[in-house]
Amino acid sequence: MNNYLRRSCKIGLSLSLLLFLSQAGWSQSVLLASNVRHNSVQETTGNVRLLKDVLNEFNSRYGVNILFERGTVDGLSVVSSTISPRATLEKNLGNVLNPLGLRFKKVNSNSYLIVNDRTIKKVADTDSREQETELLVQASRQPMVAQRMPDVIRIPKIEPAERTVSGTVKSETNEPLPGVSVVIKGTTRGTTTDAEGAFRLSIPDEGAAATTLVFSFVGFLNQEIAVGNRSIIDVQLLPDQKLLNEVVVVGYGVQRKSDLTGAVGTVKAEMLQERPAASLNQGLAGRITGVNVSVNSGRPGGRANIRIRGNTSVSVANNPLYVIDGVILNATGLTNGSTPIDYINPNDIASIEVLKDASATAIYGARGANGVILVTTKRGSSSGGRINYDTDFSVGVLPKKIPLLNAREFLQVEDVAYQNAQKYDPVGWAGGKYKDPKTKRTNPLLFDASGNPLYDTDWQDESFQKALTQNHQLSFAGGSGKDSYGVYLGYRNENGLVKESYLKRFAGRFVFDSQLKSWIKVGGSLSYNDQKENQVDPLGSGGIIAMRQVLEALPIIPVKYPDGRWGGNEDYPGMEGGGNPVNILKDRFFLVKTQTMLSNVYANLNLTKDLELRTTLGTNVINQEIDEYAGRTLNYISRNQGGTAAITNERHNSWQFENYLTYNKRFAAQHSVTGLLGLAWQHVDRFTSRAATQNFQDDYFQFNNLGAGSVPQAPSSSAVGYGLNSYFGRVNYGLRDKYLVTLTGRVDGSSKFGSSNRYAFFPSAALAWRVVEEDFMKNVRPISNLKVRTSYGVTGNSEITAYQALAGMSNYSVIFGGARAIGVGTGRLANPDLRWEKTHQFDVGLELGLFQNRLSFELDYYRKLTTDMLLNAPVPFSSGYETVAKNVGSMENRGFELALNSVNVNRGGFAWNTTFNISFNKNKVIALTGGSDIFVGFTVVREQEPVGSYFGFVHQGTWSTAEESQAAKYLKKPGDIKYQDVNADGVINDKDRVIIGKGIPDGFGTLLNTFKYKNFDLTVDLQFMYGNDVLFRSQHSAEDRQGIANSFKTVLNAWTPENQNTPIAQFRPVSAGYNTNEDTHRVRDGSFVRGRNLLLAYSFPTPITNKLHLNRLRAYASVQNFFLSTKYEGYDPEVSTTGNAFDQGVALYDYPKPRVFMVGLNIGL
Amino acid sequence: MKTTIKTAGKWLLGVALLFSGSACSDFLEEADKSNFTVGNYFTRPEHATSAVNSIYDNLKTTTGGGFGGAPWMMLEFGTGLANTELGQAQNSIFVRNLVNTSDNEYGRVYWVSSYKGIGNANLVIAKVPGIVMDEAAKKRALGEALFLRAHYYYNLVRIFGKVPLITAPVELASETLYPEQATEEAVYKQIVDDLVAAEAAGLPFTDAAGRASTGAAKSLLANVYLSMAGYPLQKGAEYFKKAADKANEVITANQYSLFTTYDDLHSPTKKNVGENIFMVQFATNIQPSGWQTSIIPYNQGISAYSDETGAIFANKEFVESYEKGDLRAQEKQFYYRSYTLSNDRKTTVDLGGYYIYKHFDTQAHLTTSNSDLNWPLIRYAEVLLTYAEAANEASGPTPEAYEAVNKIRRRAKLPDLAGLTKDQFRESVWKERWYELSFENKTWFDMARLRKAFNVTTKTFENFVGHKFSYGPVLKERELLFPIPTAEIRNNNKLKQNAGY
Repeated sequence: MNNYLRRSCKIGLSLSLLLFLSQAGWSQSVLLASNVRHNSVQETTGNVRLLKDVLNEFNSRYGVNILFERGTVDGLSVVSSTISPRATLEKNLGNVLNPLGLRFKKVNSNSYLIVNDRTIKKVADTDSREQETELLVQASRQPMVAQRMPDVIRIPKIEPAERTVSGTVKSETNEPLPGVSVVIKGTTRGTTTDAEGAFRLSIPDEGAAATTLVFSFVGFLNQEIAVGNRSIIDVQLLPDQKLLNEVVVVGYGVQRKSDLTGAVGTVKAEMLQERPAASLNQGLAGRITGVNVSVNSGRPGGRANIRIRGNTSVSVANNPLYVIDGVILNATGLTNGSTPIDYINPNDIASIEVLKDASATAIYGARGANGVILVTTKRGSSSGGRINYDTDFSVGVLPKKIPLLNAREFLQVEDVAYQNAQKYDPVGWAGGKYKDPKTKRTNPLLFDASGNPLYDTDWQDESFQKALTQNHQLSFAGGSGKDSYGVYLGYRNENGLVKESYLKRFAGRFVFDSQLKSWIKVGGSLSYNDQKENQVDPLGSGGIIAMRQVLEALPIIPVKYPDGRWGGNEDYPGMEGGGNPVNILKDRFFLVKTQTMLSNVYANLNLTKDLELRTTLGTNVINQEIDEYAGRTLNYISRNQGGTAAITNERHNSWQFENYLTYNKRFAAQHSVTGLLGLAWQHVDRFTSRAATQNFQDDYFQFNNLGAGSVPQAPSSSAVGYGLNSYFGRVNYGLRDKYLVTLTGRVDGSSKFGSSNRYAFFPSAALAWRVVEEDFMKNVRPISNLKVRTSYGVTGNSEITAYQALAGMSNYSVIFGGARAIGVGTGRLANPDLRWEKTHQFDVGLELGLFQNRLSFELDYYRKLTTDMLLNAPVPFSSGYETVAKNVGSMENRGFELALNSVNVNRGGFAWNTTFNISFNKNKVIALTGGSDIFVGFTVVREQEPVGSYFGFVHQGTWSTAEESQAAKYLKKPGDIKYQDVNADGVINDKDRVIIGKGIPDGFGTLLNTFKYKNFDLTVDLQFMYGNDVLFRSQHSAEDRQGIANSFKTVLNAWTPENQNTPIAQFRPVSAGYNTNEDTHRVRDGSFVRGRNLLLAYSFPTPITNKLHLNRLRAYASVQNFFLSTKYEGYDPEVSTTGNAFDQGVALYDYPKPRVFMVGLNIGL
Repeated sequence: MKTTIKTAGKWLLGVALLFSGSACSDFLEEADKSNFTVGNYFTRPEHATSAVNSIYDNLKTTTGGGFGGAPWMMLEFGTGLANTELGQAQNSIFVRNLVNTSDNEYGRVYWVSSYKGIGNANLVIAKVPGIVMDEAAKKRALGEALFLRAHYYYNLVRIFGKVPLITAPVELASETLYPEQATEEAVYKQIVDDLVAAEAAGLPFTDAAGRASTGAAKSLLANVYLSMAGYPLQKGAEYFKKAADKANEVITANQYSLFTTYDDLHSPTKKNVGENIFMVQFATNIQPSGWQTSIIPYNQGISAYSDETGAIFANKEFVESYEKGDLRAQEKQFYYRSYTLSNDRKTTVDLGGYYIYKHFDTQAHLTTSNSDLNWPLIRYAEVLLTYAEAANEASGPTPEAYEAVNKIRRRAKLPDLAGLTKDQFRESVWKERWYELSFENKTWFDMARLRKAFNVTTKTFENFVGHKFSYGPVLKERELLFPIPTAEIRNNNKLKQNAGY
């Protein structure tokens, strides 16, 4: 019945698509009629249009900036028929401008300048002191810039010149810039450059040396030059990227940055290119305030944990929502901590927008609570063909070794431990349990005749490699003004720092956009990504993994014996016998093969001049196969089973269908209104199956023939599906571009919730005031931008697993008569009242730009309060259940974010820019069910405390001989670890555990300096974090116990009667009893400063590129992770080795991050 | 005119897109295709079988081993007769040193798994009667459910004392989601009722496949009566009589017999037969049992298993307190203190302590590293000892009582008991229980029921409270019960923690 209904629903959808397609075909004929009508309407006004309007239209149609002088274009008009909607921009510009005696110049990738040769020449010829020159005005896209530039500089008559200065102004690519304003600082006296970028200016001779000229030009950074004794001054202006790229993508649309009422951060492709990385998350690290990207593993592709403004949920996902070109990525629970974004080629990205506050995220309603990351991919070209080839080669090395015992020290520790055995286990000692380890050093493969070790293996040297990586990205983009297409190809082969770990990726993407008719634009993209990884750092593993054995393999054991057999700890009796790390790396695989298809098609219909309908259909398919094999002889891993093999297949399919209307209108020049109204459907299906087997006769088969294992394991599979149905709307209203209001609302319905609470409404409201536009600010010249904004809104989190509202039953497996029998019994306590988790967010922001935005600040304060928190809330176990999905509890995040950009120097071809950002977030759990603690991973979730608080004993060092009787009360001896008896009840037990640290930082940020000199670029990118702790769990096996595996060198500081002031217990054989606990000794200050990237690039100048018939040629060399300054003794304090949401900073056998030396080349044709 | 058509077309297209699909009212209805719900199950006879099977699953939860120890060790370390080499198994160490708290994970597992078993049993008891099926089969299914529910409650009431008594499925809106504790009296009454019903459910007297049987129900009931005669209910003579009678029913049925060799106690070929009345079922390579790595010494290289954790072994003083000549205390009977090396089976090493051989799977350790052993829950030796003890309490040391205990002693190569007073006989039977049933999760229950502990030095029984373990700690009143798990106390404020925790 249900199935039938769903099928009929799908048929409905496909019918409407068919309708859509047939309509499109049918409407072609209608379009002609439309053109006729359009023309006829214009005929009544003379079939001519104002040049200014035409240029404005080009601006938006082609997504470029067209700059012109008001005087140049005023009064000029164009015959409509000269404009061809299918032609390229440059062709259209030519058609329009040539008859008027104007021409255009391309000043950079997306800016064009309209030049009137005659006018400028005239100005230059007559030495413009008495001329009234109207400076350039940019067309509609950047009114803010235009208005901050004085519209008219009236240059009064002054005394005759006594000295003349001349020169040429060029762009960074050495193109002459016409129309640049050259003004004597502190006066209104000046001129503009001519068509060749040349200027001549008379300056008063008196004090000439002290005179400073200010060069300014829209879209470029102002530059000041002291005249000194020079009479010729050549200037190169640098583009102001920040101003030129001011359009930002928001949910379901784009907005000018100046019009934003919300907190949105942007990263452009150029910034990502400075630090080529395997995943978007790695590239995003440190770019945006409030976005904490912790790259927790050094493995290829990393394993990043992203938190936007802190953790908002205790038991539901805390990851942001990713939206790629409008397609929402849904899959959760991918293997080993992966997220779907890991399967997107970062080179395809044109820009990333991070939506942080409720004003920005509310349009994503039920899924916006953790912030939204919008990714816009690169499209085709609207101005002719382009070919780009980007490549880089790198080598990663281990930046730091952890000091471990060498062979001699290891044996010495074992000897001392034996001597202490009687003290700690008198009964065992009397029973003859302990033997002098010297007597077992007889194996001739390991020891010489006198018991000295033959080997002294450094397992860090053996296990890590110089990790070579190559990356090739090739793109073809073409098109005219109406149609454009792009083909993007990528290949990446990244080797891991740990041997045998790697990532290989083939990526291909095709994009296509077409202005089919004047009223309809269609397009789409299809991308395919094929990725294969061998991941050697399984999450949450306390078992034997390669990175554990790097620390624990005995130095007295070789990698291999002369006869080719692997060495292992088991070869030396009495050891906890994990294999050596190289052996594990060679004989164990965890291959993750992922094929991802991401596609979308859209159509934009211009229903009226102001009303547009966009319809999009997107799909995301992730097929992931995980192949595992562990060899027949791997101790503690698969030896008991005689080898284990498993294949897991996961298929995540999702589709979404969205339709929305956008209305955009300006009334009476004062009121601008943008309205958005839409609806969406989305469906997600996940199917998982797993087959596993054990006990092989030979390692040959690996996972390729599960039938070859003699002990097949029970197979498993599961199917999960859920749907979402949403209605959303937004109104942006602007009054005189000064007062901005945004109201947003979304209604989401989800199949995951009980029918009574299926739908929920998520509203938000925001206000912004562009103070700088006020009249009273006109005279405050240093302030070039001042905006305050505030927002409040509600967003949701619905990432619970499906079917929680139902009383689902579970499988049980029991044995009768030696065979498996299946049971079906209680599974889940149903909660039909389940509803949405909601996050209420308040944000207030301030944007300030000084000195023509040479110095700009953005400051935000926010408070996020999560209520109705979805919890797998514990219920009394007496019910037969442990938890129920329930809405209880609340949590708060408060924080500040500050971003600062400064152009420190910009003169004489030298520019120095600084970007600094810092974020502070304080997280606090307000309420939980009945106030009870929840233990998640190694942390406790407790009221009034931040999530991610470590829990454990207070380590007070070791008991001294003077404290012998006191120690005895706790059944301890001098030399044992001394824990604080927190509740002073005379025993150390669970009641003495307290909060001992936290993995979440107080503050984090980035300091980025870029230096440009002529064609050279130098970037120094520093990352910092403070107030975060690391729970160094590797100490459990590498410090708390000795003599059964190798240890950290720190154990040499262990307790002895002569060395009693130490945190490390006296050596003793492990079976004599030892203490090991999560305690304060393991909690380490994880604050750090990292040299994230040091990059030197050289862009070849135009003459050379021209000679090579290239458009662009850039070479660079960089060192990533070039230094790390921290007190933490492990590999890297930016770490987490479990999959639990709050286990940030938990370090157990982590995969270190490499220091990467890279060279790269960008070639554009 | 044309304009109108064109505009209309555009709008029609727009409207079609906007509202396509919005007619799917069922779009947000999702069925879980991988799982039944309680609402749509219990429609076929097979469902009764599957639902009953699910109740058995939690029998295995408390067994096992690993680097954290296992819950069953809680009841062993509580006796003061066990030791460990597994320094990181804090749960074991806290219990062993009598500094246990309600945070102990082992206790939580006992509590949770018992109530999960009860939850599944309650579901069967509530829903299976509604299935249209063979009535005799239905009765047997319900009999198994009642037996298992009694088993779980019997563990709960002895370990935790006053516990919530839930006999029907719980939903989010049920009052029983936040229940109060029932008296021990009420819990025992339910246990007896369930077992009496299970006895009459038409189950076979023995079941070689490992399902609940009439013999198992009677044996358990005999044991329940024996406990009811002791602490905390102290129902005395009447219940000793009941216990003796019920145990006698098992004995006189002649369906069970003692194994002739102790090796059979841990032989995979002797599952559910002979002496083994009811067991937790395991099967090699399918669902292997998990405690083998726990009962071998810490990394001495004797096993095919790569992990040798030394999680539990017998206190030297206890093993050495066995009577001289007791076969059970001899090498590789109940305990072992030497074994060959896995990489050299010709070389035998002294292990320096007494490890548990009763649960030792020789084949797994020598070659397969995959154990086929079952875990014994009720074996005939216990029924005999129950009979001996109960009969003595009811009517003094009768010949039948002597015979029951002497069967056990004869197998241990010990002389028959004879000519004892009632009091002497009582202690002799207790001693046999301690020695025969060691490390089978029986001894601590006996200690709590009798409020006695065995002094390994004097080889006499002394009061539980004040008894000093051979390694120092002294039992207090609170140790007569284990603490109710912290989480349960927190999640249900109607519960009262046991005194002293």
